[in-house]
Amino acid sequence: MVYIDSWDDFVERSVQIFRDDPHSTRYVMKYRHCDGKLVLKVTDNRVCVKYKTDQAQDVKKMEKLNNIFFGLMVRGPDVDIAEVTGKEPAEQQVSKKGRGRRQ
Amino acid sequence: MVLLQPDPFLNELTNMYERTKEKGSVWVTFKRSSMKSKAKRKRMESAGEVIEYRCLVRATDSKKTISTSLSAKDYLRFQASYATVLKAHMNALKKRERKDKKKSAEGEKKPADQSKLVSKPNA
Repeated sequence: MVYIDSWDDFVERSVQIFRDDPHSTRYVMKYRHCDGKLVLKVTDNRVCVKYKTDQAQDVKKMEKLNNIFFGLMVRGPDVDIAEVTGKEPAEQQVSKKGRGRRQ
Repeated sequence: MVLLQPDPFLNELTNMYERTKEKGSVWVTFKRSSMKSKAKRKRMESAGEVIEYRCLVRATDSKKTISTSLSAKDYLRFQASYATVLKAHMNALKKRERKDKKKSAEGEKKPADQSKLVSKPNA
């Protein structure tokens, strides 16, 4: 099991693993509230990268990674990754935010 | 393994996080899936049919396993609700103190510092 220290490195490698084998790659997240630990794993059953943390700031980073994976898995591995705003065109993103604020 | 619709899945996931507050872990797995058997997939591929892929999301607290399958239509909404569930429950992690620029005594901040503080010097 390879634990990566750098978040950005972990993200890059996990996207690479996914692109190399989108069908067998899976992204696993384990959270233990009692220990305050979060572990992320991306593997295609041949290569594996992991990231562990106990820092609250990593939750936000993980959410962005979740969004990246959602987009890749649903739309396909050839999709361009826009790290922050997601894969939707800007107008759709704006309308989503609008709905959120009104609520 | 219970296959649910996205909304009941999120409700049940919330319950899992509540149940494991004192003890236990929650695993959530994302995988790309066409939800078709291998044989059918091969047949479709050779017939030239487009296979619609979905995102399979599984969650377990090692007692119960639930799952849901997202299509291109549902995933954005799910993504937002899922993020909300996570933010609401993942609060046992340590908060980083910004004043630690001066106090470099806490070693745990080092990996965090490398990724976040690129331009600020680590005092």
